[in-house]
Amino acid sequence: MGYTSFAYIGLLAVTFLFYMMLPLKHRWKVLLVFSYAFYLLNSGKLVIFILLSTLSIYLTGLMLNKLDDGFAMAKKGIPKENKKEFKAIIGWQKKFICVFAVLFNLGLLIFLKYFNFLGGSINGLFELLHINVHIEELKLVLPLGISFYTMSAISYVVDVYRGKYRASDSLGKVALFLAFFPHIVEGPIGRFDLLADQLYEGHRFDYNNLMMGLQLIFWGLFKKFVLADRANMYVTTVFKNYMDYGGIYVVIAMLLYTLQLYAEFSGCMDIVMGSAEVFGIKMSKNFERPFISKTVSEFWRRWHMTLGSWFRDYVFYSVSLSKTFMNFSKKVKSKLNPYLGSIIPAAVAMFAVWFSTGIWHGASWKYVAYGLYYYVIMLIGMIIEPGVVKVSEKIHLNRKAVGYKLFQMIRTFILVNIGMLLFRADTIGSFAHMLRSMFRGFSFAPLANGSILELGCDIKDFIVLAVGVLILFLVGLYEEKGRSVRQTVAGWNVVVRWVCYYALIFAVIIFGAYGYGYQATGFIYAQF
Amino acid sequence: MEELLALMREVKPGVTFEGDDDLIGHGLLDSIAIVTLVGEICDEFDVEISPVDVVPENFKTVEAIYALITRLQEDN
Repeated sequence: MGYTSFAYIGLLAVTFLFYMMLPLKHRWKVLLVFSYAFYLLNSGKLVIFILLSTLSIYLTGLMLNKLDDGFAMAKKGIPKENKKEFKAIIGWQKKFICVFAVLFNLGLLIFLKYFNFLGGSINGLFELLHINVHIEELKLVLPLGISFYTMSAISYVVDVYRGKYRASDSLGKVALFLAFFPHIVEGPIGRFDLLADQLYEGHRFDYNNLMMGLQLIFWGLFKKFVLADRANMYVTTVFKNYMDYGGIYVVIAMLLYTLQLYAEFSGCMDIVMGSAEVFGIKMSKNFERPFISKTVSEFWRRWHMTLGSWFRDYVFYSVSLSKTFMNFSKKVKSKLNPYLGSIIPAAVAMFAVWFSTGIWHGASWKYVAYGLYYYVIMLIGMIIEPGVVKVSEKIHLNRKAVGYKLFQMIRTFILVNIGMLLFRADTIGSFAHMLRSMFRGFSFAPLANGSILELGCDIKDFIVLAVGVLILFLVGLYEEKGRSVRQTVAGWNVVVRWVCYYALIFAVIIFGAYGYGYQATGFIYAQF
Repeated sequence: MEELLALMREVKPGVTFEGDDDLIGHGLLDSIAIVTLVGEICDEFDVEISPVDVVPENFKTVEAIYALITRLQEDN
């Protein structure tokens, strides 16, 4: 049941009706029941895995609470000199429980998602070394949203361990936090402190919430059906038969795939956030106009934001601010030099982040390469930054000038598109082939003679795509100045507002990339 | 405060931190700069900054960072 299916819209409508019918304090139960109904319909008996995760983090939270309470009670009666020792003992116990819960949840994910990949890689290594051992492939099915809810589960346990908030004593609340049906398939990756109370408290019917939610859902459908699915027609033709194409055909395929992925993923997030908004629930945003980024790091702060912030908070800071790393940094500083002392720990922590980000996207070396591609770019940026500052000062280059910012944006856009090519290509080899083929015999002739229109998108499709991109660009431009298009439209008088809404609805119906026997393309991120 | 500003200038040369009310939002401090700065602060001010302290509120302005350091020194 995809987010663009009628079944999903039906489920959302029924959930909404039941939600509004029940007394406020019981409304969260409607969300829980329908979230599990959604899960069961999509994943059947694999529901056991999300139940295991839920139970594990719930019990871990209670144990951590108990240790915190025990320490708070006991420290009053302990002499000052023993307090530190007692705190250390409690600290170790908490760490043990937390690590166990994290490994349990991570273990489930690694086993189900990566067992065959790891087995295959080890078999390849054994073959190279002429070792006669073979790890058999297992028939494993991935539970719905496991990559997303595992991240939320780990963040809950680690936050409670770090003392950010107390664990919940309500199993239902924890269960709903993980399984809430709008975010279970593709995120955004929820944080308990931002989401759980909103899910738990009953929201009254609010016409404004309903309208704003529906408005966002239709905006998401527009991005998905009109732009993403249309771009997909050209993209699929070229990427499937990449050996047959080169030059501008591949450049356009790469650009259209970037558009497809952005329109589809951000469109899905709009549907997800809109679905939550009809209940009065505000979810964390996942996109913030990524293509105006001036650096690759900025791009990742604006693209799939909840994933980036998760890796920052639970991998990057955990590694780089750990005592071991701080001591290591001090040693490098004193024994080598201060510059390396500040670079090396960040570089190691960044490696952990980008390796994990890559492999999180899929069990293949291509995704590892995808993560490391960004790692190398950021590392180079970090190393050369002081030099760039010095050279800029010497040659009196104004790095705040519009021209320089534009250069940075174009440079980042090109780097991101190359990353997208790697992300979409079947293998690292096909990526390398396509990248090379772009420069072989490059010519604008296919644009002039119209042969570009024979690969799945005709002239009308390209016009629709161009208008769609222009609309996205104008909306982005408007919102970058701190304004909200949605609020602005909602504030217009009733006639203009509804003309606008109908235009959006009819754009989805008329310009959606449908055809005979059409089936909406599955969401790319749903497979992760 | 001057000591802190000197550290910040060391981490990010050529940047004016004073008076900025959103160092993170304006891109003056990213996560890599924060980690480097935290390392310097821990050495210089003899405090321990844990990941839970690394939140935007504590690194939004020079004053907020200084307030964090003062609080951690008092806790010691």
